[in-house]
Amino acid sequence: MDTVAAVNPDDLQQEALAAVAGAQTLDELDEARVRYVGRRSDLKLALREVRDRESGMALNAAREAIEAAVSARQEELERAELEQRLTTERVDVTLPAELLGEVRVRPRGTLHPTTLIRRDVEDAFIGLGYEIREDREIETVEYNFDKLAFPAWHPARSPGDTFYLDPGHVLRTETSPSQIHVLEEKPPPIYMVSIGRVYRRDAITPTRFPIFHQFEGLAIDRGITMADLKGTLLHVMRALFGDEREVRFRTHYFPFTEPSMEPDVSCGVCGGGGCPTCKWSGWIEIGGSGMVDPQVLVNVGLDPDEWGGFAFGLGLERAAQLLYDIPTIRPFWEDDLRFLRQFR
Amino acid sequence: MRVPFSWLREYVAVDADAERIAEALSISAAEVNGIERRGPSDTAGFVVGRVLEADKHPAADRLQLCRVDVGAGEPAQIVCGAWNFGAGATVAVALPGATLPNGLTLGRRELRGATSEGMILAEDEIELGTDHSGIIVLADGPAPGSPLADALPLVEEVLDVEPTGNRVDLLSVYGLAREVAALLDGELAPLPGMDPARAGDEPLEIRIQDPAGCPRYVGRLFRDVTIGESPLWLKARLRDAGVRSISNVVDVTNYVMLALGNPLHAFDFDTLEDGRVVVRRATKGERLRTLDGVDRELTEEDLLIADPSRSVALAGIMGGEETEVSERTTTVLLEAANFEPVGILRSSERLGLRTQGSNRWEKGVDPYLAEPAATLATQLLVELAGARWTGAADVHGELPEPAVVPLRPTRTNEILGLDVPAERQADILGRVGFVAVDGGYRVPTWRARDVTREIDLVEEVARFELSEIPFTLPRREAMFGRLNRWQRVRRVVEDVLVGCGYSEAYTPSLVSSGAIVLPEPISGELAALRGSLLPSLVDAVRANVAVDVESVALFEIARIYPEAGREPWHVGGIADGGLAQARWVVEQIYGTLGLEPGLERAAESFLHPGKAARTPHGVLGELHPAQLEGAWGVFELDLDALAAAAGATPRYEEVSPYPDLRQDLAFVVDEDVPAAALLAAIRTAAGELLREATVFDEYRGPQMSEGKRSLAFRLAFGSPERTLTDEDVAPARAAVVDELRQRFGAELRG
Repeated sequence: MDTVAAVNPDDLQQEALAAVAGAQTLDELDEARVRYVGRRSDLKLALREVRDRESGMALNAAREAIEAAVSARQEELERAELEQRLTTERVDVTLPAELLGEVRVRPRGTLHPTTLIRRDVEDAFIGLGYEIREDREIETVEYNFDKLAFPAWHPARSPGDTFYLDPGHVLRTETSPSQIHVLEEKPPPIYMVSIGRVYRRDAITPTRFPIFHQFEGLAIDRGITMADLKGTLLHVMRALFGDEREVRFRTHYFPFTEPSMEPDVSCGVCGGGGCPTCKWSGWIEIGGSGMVDPQVLVNVGLDPDEWGGFAFGLGLERAAQLLYDIPTIRPFWEDDLRFLRQFR
Repeated sequence: MRVPFSWLREYVAVDADAERIAEALSISAAEVNGIERRGPSDTAGFVVGRVLEADKHPAADRLQLCRVDVGAGEPAQIVCGAWNFGAGATVAVALPGATLPNGLTLGRRELRGATSEGMILAEDEIELGTDHSGIIVLADGPAPGSPLADALPLVEEVLDVEPTGNRVDLLSVYGLAREVAALLDGELAPLPGMDPARAGDEPLEIRIQDPAGCPRYVGRLFRDVTIGESPLWLKARLRDAGVRSISNVVDVTNYVMLALGNPLHAFDFDTLEDGRVVVRRATKGERLRTLDGVDRELTEEDLLIADPSRSVALAGIMGGEETEVSERTTTVLLEAANFEPVGILRSSERLGLRTQGSNRWEKGVDPYLAEPAATLATQLLVELAGARWTGAADVHGELPEPAVVPLRPTRTNEILGLDVPAERQADILGRVGFVAVDGGYRVPTWRARDVTREIDLVEEVARFELSEIPFTLPRREAMFGRLNRWQRVRRVVEDVLVGCGYSEAYTPSLVSSGAIVLPEPISGELAALRGSLLPSLVDAVRANVAVDVESVALFEIARIYPEAGREPWHVGGIADGGLAQARWVVEQIYGTLGLEPGLERAAESFLHPGKAARTPHGVLGELHPAQLEGAWGVFELDLDALAAAAGATPRYEEVSPYPDLRQDLAFVVDEDVPAAALLAAIRTAAGELLREATVFDEYRGPQMSEGKRSLAFRLAFGSPERTLTDEDVAPARAAVVDELRQRFGAELRG
């Protein structure tokens, strides 16, 4: 019987792991390490002398297991030691700040461009006598699609375009469910703007991020016209982008408005004459709008012959991109202070 | 959809250039992405030539030396590298001075000792195709020297248009032509195509087992089909429309789909068992190898075209490989069917297979379109593939009758806010195919799904009048706009934090793990809704530290998602400076909202165990050093709870004309008695005269025993009636000393 056979890898590993687990300090752990996998340990000696492949593999496996246990235990002990040290740094957290340490004097911070636009939107609509809402982001399929008259074939209903949590719930794909919420909460007349996060199952590209912000306006009253919608959008676009801006409509399709239009705002770079920013059209696409579909009114128990209204929606980031000339969506979510500090 | 203007103009005569047409469509019909131009920018110098002589170049084996009649004067000598023609061929020539689409202006050129006066053109050189294996050989007819643009589509303008989902009728050249005619007062040509005479009356057996999924199936049989290349005009149109040319028969099906909007399919009839066709649902687990070579497993949802023994096509989406038209095909079964949209959408989505066909079917194609589509295809197959049309079938149940929709012209005007006379409304509707009947309009079959209600007719009128609609504001009886309390609190907190040096972050609400998990996330990083703002803010700090930004201070206000049905708004912040920084900024927030922080010691795994605190609305402290190197002060508070607590209206209290009397008291007390507890006791014990009490010093020294510290308090006493003396406040002071000794064992220092 030779010396190599005297080392049983299984037994040795069991013994070593017990010693490692039992080490209560880093010193004890190091002792165990030297004894079981150190240069002169039985295991290392056996490894040096081993000749057959099978025993070699078994010994190596034992060595690897022990070394892994040592480094795991080392992390645990270090963490415990850190915790111990931190406990000795304990302070009375109820003391006022000036007794806890020095508070640095900092230059003023900045609001995020998305918030700057949000405030402009809020102020413009408060001025027009609208209320501002924030509604839930986890929405039912009923409010996100059904009550907004999305047809069964509409691509937005597809799990490829929308984040479903379960068959009945989605992350809202637009702020439009607020239309239903407000109409169910109280009788018209209603003038409201809903602002908040929305989600689309888009791949991340320079121009798209699966999370963004929208504002959605809704007016329900007697005798509301497309002219009122056009005038309201003109007012808001001028509030956001400047008094010289113009607004026009292009026909479009949205499930919950009829007629549906996309508003364009005149290009702020060229003033409407045509330039690369507006792709030489003089106009920039800015969102969606339309007259509330009679079916939506029926869905919330209103008579569409008595009540009418308009709705419109726009992306906050998109508006900020236009206003501040930010070419991509990326910096909005990167939170690089060198970007954020530009918005004073 | 990409639409060559020459094709569009074949269907509508209109006095407007491409830009005008594009603009009119974009305002009133469909989104326009732009106009692309193909071919040379100047057609001068591009002419038809006739080859008089063609011989091998004396000094080069691979070149031909040609003499080409180009109309004027002496024939031109042209050196050419292609061999697919000889004397007598009619060819496309670019003369010296002509500029090719790639920008090269031709001159006279020496080629191995022979002068070449121009160039005989291949498809790729004028962007007509990719073929460079030979030059273009034109049909005989056009006179030498005549403009090349008259003989082939030398230049083209292509409209890139994106109709909305409700306007499947505009996914066709003819449908767009109809809109252009209506918008710009043009003249619409009749539907293209005319049935040639039938060359036989073979029976054709088509059985529809699922009439809901397939309301109509027009089948036509063609014998003696010669499969070959399509003519140049057809290849050019398909290429400009973005469709690859495959063979004359397949090209015809694609051409008709683009022209009219009804997708077609061609089967090699001889590969169908018994020549019989069944339209049915798949059985679970049934398999079909589609044209793209993918073996697909089907479910009972999928609609199939089958023969008696197996499936041969995924209805409306893609044909099967085994029955596809090939070079050997001589008998063709043409399918011009109609499929129900939702089933096609579901199948194509589940299989991840979207085609030009499925894109149209899923939007609901007019079932009346199947027959004109079959007619145009029949005409082209006979003309271009030498086919004999020998059999026909048209299987369908009751097709939907065109609906009549009522319209009150006054209603239109009420909605538009513009007076559009009734005659003008009737004129507009007539132009887009609506037929006036008593009290309303009969909807054309190609708009049947989209226009079903009065409001839909109003939209038809409105889209022609968009630029006429004035700018007004609603006339309101009441105005009530204002920010609510929560919204005002949010603004205050934002402003306080900015004033404290924090910049606002927006971090993704989707993170790698959280209480609410997305079943189908787009990535591991965006897989769940977050339950806290701080981890995201720590990430944002890490990114800033990595690029050496100094004095990092960030905050965010956003919802968190701790459980289904609850999405509270939180405010979180992080800045270098440890607990003192966090404590200070939280004080600023609470102070501004008129609230007391009410601090207590807390334990949170992500916070330093000795420097973590809690308020009734959240936590603050020093970030655990294992999270991020350095001393970072962090906080996260429930903004909804803060807003609910804030907002008490201040009550006026008369200001005393007399100065306050201040007294400083220092106590030695056990380390673990919090200063806040002592302060609270002081405030209770000191009685009515106490105006204010604050901690102003903490001290540990050699003269104090282990586990003890000294805390110094400043007490301000006052009265509205007179200036207080030490004697006046002695009882209050004694009560404080007594209370602290009894409750906390605190000893007054001398």
